[in-house]
Amino acid sequence: MALRSQHVHDGGVVERRLRPVYDWLDNGYNKKALQEAEKVLKKSPSLQAARALKALALYRLGRAQEAGAVLDALVEEKPSDDTTLQAMTMSFRESQQLHKVCTIYENAVKIDTTNEELHSHLFMSYVRVGDFRSQQRAAMAIYKFAPKNPYYFWAVMSIVLQAKETEDTTKRNILLTLAQRMIDNFISENRMEAEQEARLYIMILELQEKWEDIIKFIESPLYGQLIPGSISQACIPYLKKLGRWKKVNILCKELLYDNLDRWDYYMPYFDSVFHLMKENSNEENIDDTAEKCHEFICQLVESMSSGRTLRGPYLARLELWKRLSVEGDPTALLGSALALCVQYLRVFASKPCAVPDLKVYLAMIPQEEREANCRDFLTCLGFDENSEPETMDDIQRHISCLTAWRLTAPRPGTTDALQLAATLRRHYLRSLEKNMIKYSTTEFCSADSYAILAAHHYFYAATEQKSSKPILEALCLLELVLLYSPANYHVKLLLVQLYHLLGNALAADSIYRRLELKHIQLVSLGWLHTARADAACVPTRALQLLADLRAFHTHHAKDSIEHMTYAYKFGTFEKVVELRAWAARLEACALCAVSARRRDLLALLAAPAPPAPPAPLHAAHTDNRDLNIIVNWEPPELQDPDLRSRTFDQDMAYLRLTDALLSSVTLCTELAENKPIEEKMQHYEQLRTCVDTFSEAMEKCTEKYCVYEKITISGPFPSRIIGFVSSPVPYRELYSITLRMIGELSMNNTDKVHELCDQVVAIILISSKLIVQEIRYGAEDNGWSMRDRLESLSNYLQSIGVLTYLLGVCYEMITPTNTKKSKKKANRSVDQMQTIKLIDNINVTLQQAIASLEELMDLWPDYDFSVDLEEELTRMNINPTAPSPVENKLKLGLDKIIEDIQNILKRKTAYLKGLILNTNT
Amino acid sequence: MTTLRPFTCEDMLRFNNVNLDPLTETYGLSFYTQYLAHWPEYFQVVESPSGEIMGYIMGKAEGHGENWHGHVTALTVSPDYRRLGLAATLMNLLEEVSEKKKAYLVDLFVRVSNKVAINMYKNLGYIVYRTVLEYYSGDPDEDAYDMRKACSRDINKQSVIPLSHPVRTEDVD
Repeated sequence: MALRSQHVHDGGVVERRLRPVYDWLDNGYNKKALQEAEKVLKKSPSLQAARALKALALYRLGRAQEAGAVLDALVEEKPSDDTTLQAMTMSFRESQQLHKVCTIYENAVKIDTTNEELHSHLFMSYVRVGDFRSQQRAAMAIYKFAPKNPYYFWAVMSIVLQAKETEDTTKRNILLTLAQRMIDNFISENRMEAEQEARLYIMILELQEKWEDIIKFIESPLYGQLIPGSISQACIPYLKKLGRWKKVNILCKELLYDNLDRWDYYMPYFDSVFHLMKENSNEENIDDTAEKCHEFICQLVESMSSGRTLRGPYLARLELWKRLSVEGDPTALLGSALALCVQYLRVFASKPCAVPDLKVYLAMIPQEEREANCRDFLTCLGFDENSEPETMDDIQRHISCLTAWRLTAPRPGTTDALQLAATLRRHYLRSLEKNMIKYSTTEFCSADSYAILAAHHYFYAATEQKSSKPILEALCLLELVLLYSPANYHVKLLLVQLYHLLGNALAADSIYRRLELKHIQLVSLGWLHTARADAACVPTRALQLLADLRAFHTHHAKDSIEHMTYAYKFGTFEKVVELRAWAARLEACALCAVSARRRDLLALLAAPAPPAPPAPLHAAHTDNRDLNIIVNWEPPELQDPDLRSRTFDQDMAYLRLTDALLSSVTLCTELAENKPIEEKMQHYEQLRTCVDTFSEAMEKCTEKYCVYEKITISGPFPSRIIGFVSSPVPYRELYSITLRMIGELSMNNTDKVHELCDQVVAIILISSKLIVQEIRYGAEDNGWSMRDRLESLSNYLQSIGVLTYLLGVCYEMITPTNTKKSKKKANRSVDQMQTIKLIDNINVTLQQAIASLEELMDLWPDYDFSVDLEEELTRMNINPTAPSPVENKLKLGLDKIIEDIQNILKRKTAYLKGLILNTNT
Repeated sequence: MTTLRPFTCEDMLRFNNVNLDPLTETYGLSFYTQYLAHWPEYFQVVESPSGEIMGYIMGKAEGHGENWHGHVTALTVSPDYRRLGLAATLMNLLEEVSEKKKAYLVDLFVRVSNKVAINMYKNLGYIVYRTVLEYYSGDPDEDAYDMRKACSRDINKQSVIPLSHPVRTEDVD
């Protein structure tokens, strides 16, 4: 962000001299900026602006302490020129000391009492810290000497925010009454002049539930002058609140006559009809019966000009059926739901949105009826599963019919699913052969959907058979589609899912990169790849992905507060509330919290560097996943409506476990500091609590999450917590005993240490045996079990990372700093010698465990690759522009995964060897 | 079949089906929040009955004097909801807001290769006012058309007399 002040009051001399400093800072050359600032300061050592910029450069160079000293001195001098204050603000913002910005501007306005700009900066400084009372005071202070509308409304908004924040109802009412009166006065003096001022007024009335007053205001001439759009539409929500259904009914009908396709008008219309049905008012122009409502919809259908058929009225009929079916059977009035759905498909099958539109309504057809008549959807336009449409439009129609059929048919058995997948694949290949697939970098080809639907059916068969072969077919087909339709993100998303299903995060990564996700997408789609990479044993890539997410999140935290100041600047008061909520939501993002902890634990595997203590958990973390992005073609009864809440709950449980583990590890680091025992007492107690928390949580989670979870293609795979707590490896004991041992070691409780050391050795030995069993389990189909195996391995690798690091901590504790390197046997007591021997023993045992894991890695099974797509291509005489990359991606990906792990294990062994103290061991 | 409503922050978590389209840029958060904070009336979304985001428009009002105009910053419709007239609905809305703000014209930039979009804008009454050389960076850079439509305030339609020669990116304000 450019920080150059726009108004410099010192005649330009200073500005000229400081220009190079700004330039360097703006372009990120902080060292140069520092040198340049020093140069200016040589000539005029007291120049405040130069010192402020010097502080900023120092801060950005990581020299926070020096920067702090310069800034403290400046604060004391109470500067009041904008250039200096802006530069100081920048430093304080970057170092998250926002309250100090308030202080400097408080001082400044005392000196320059009527400077509008300084006053408004003071106001914004309160906005950044969320001090609404001070905001109000500051806004009124400016308004007194500069009576402009925005300042007045800043004050009103600050009052509203105080009201929203307080839990005291009386106080809230007083504040809202005050806010309303302030605007009432303004209106009576004819001084309201902006759209957002009017909207703020409505917001205040809404908070007081004064619906009647809102309608009065909307119907006033003032509203019409300020706010564009239809008055009727604006009134509807409040008429609904007041239960004036007749009025709603009339207004919606008027609106709908002119806007046949506006769903947001149909909804309140239906609400009104269903309320009026209960009232039996029997007025002529009011639709208060199902019949009248149907009649109205039919009129709308008929009123459409022949040129363009809109979906609105047709969908409205389905909506009417759905609402009527809650309390009865609408068949007599509307015909069967099945017939209506088929009719809809018949009219709109040429649009890709036809089936997505229908999806909710298909669920209202009773299952039996739906399944018995599912072929009606397929055949309603004269197609069947073997039809070979000749035009692009017909391909789209055929696909709509096929998908509607699949959504209504019972889920096929393995043989049927495979057969259908093969048919659908043939349709795609035929389209390719007949040149009906045009390469396009921006549009999707209609025929792509054949392949997508085929892939879903391959997936069904694979999960039934627990076999990787159908997944391989799907992968090869989808990679082929991507050659001709590189823009089709549905294909890319499925490929990422399917590669992950076969445990190959690096192959998935090749497609993930092509999605080019950035910024907020890293959060909303993080579940797709970032959150999985570390369970998939690709630590190097996982660390990058997690770092990208973290960079976004940190950046956001600093930026989001700034955005709130824009909303005041532009007077968009509604957005003030929205932006605050948005900032808080992202701040508490669950994925970001889990990822930060995963990153730190994973970093321990990469190198034994001490992790920083994790940021405190939020009271309520937020779920920001976009789980609707992958289309789901399962029939209604197989939908999993709890998927979101269930997986979120599991992720939260995993977050708490990981948090307790990481916190314990960081406490161990602090206990290793060379301090007297009394000073360590507090950390020791904290560690004990933390380990208990971890251990108890593990126990509870084992009870709760030791369950089998069905895998879905359109959402997240089963949460990591399931594999972690179901593992035969006793992770709970492995971690908690090791952590306890370190706690006792820090307190010099020798007996306990010795006892725990023996336990640690025993449990490492057991774990080492059990992991081999866990990984060898389920070896029937290597491709299918790859993902589970790698996930088991990743849990075990995490324990190796943590234990190796903790052993390093132990050695630090038992070796006085000055003799660490020489490994000399200093004057040690018998107890100490024994401790060293025991720790060395753990070390050796861990090395053995690593060695046995290395053996396992050498024998790691490969994918069995065999597909029949190639034959089909040869048979149909199709020569794709490039060979299928699937086999190679899987093989190279797996080789890389294994090589990476082998390298890590080698490094761990070398590190552990270097720690050994007792040369005889 | 559409619900037309103002874009909100939370829509950013759900607009992937629109933004995964390769020609739709996903900007940094502050870009969206800045538009939301400054021109909320110009930032609108169309939603399907099932609650899916079908497309959205982002715009602003800027310029001085007779150059006071509405500008389309982004207009995008999900590939699954194209050819339903949604872009036209959103453009109408932006034009209406611009009329209300007493703008002289509405303008927009479009890749010269984006034939589908150019045709659509032409059908909506926009003309190619000028070509802006190498406006889109990439490999290689691509030219843009600056397309315009006059608002009712520009009675003599002065703002839409096409320039005969292309301009460079630096010369565009």
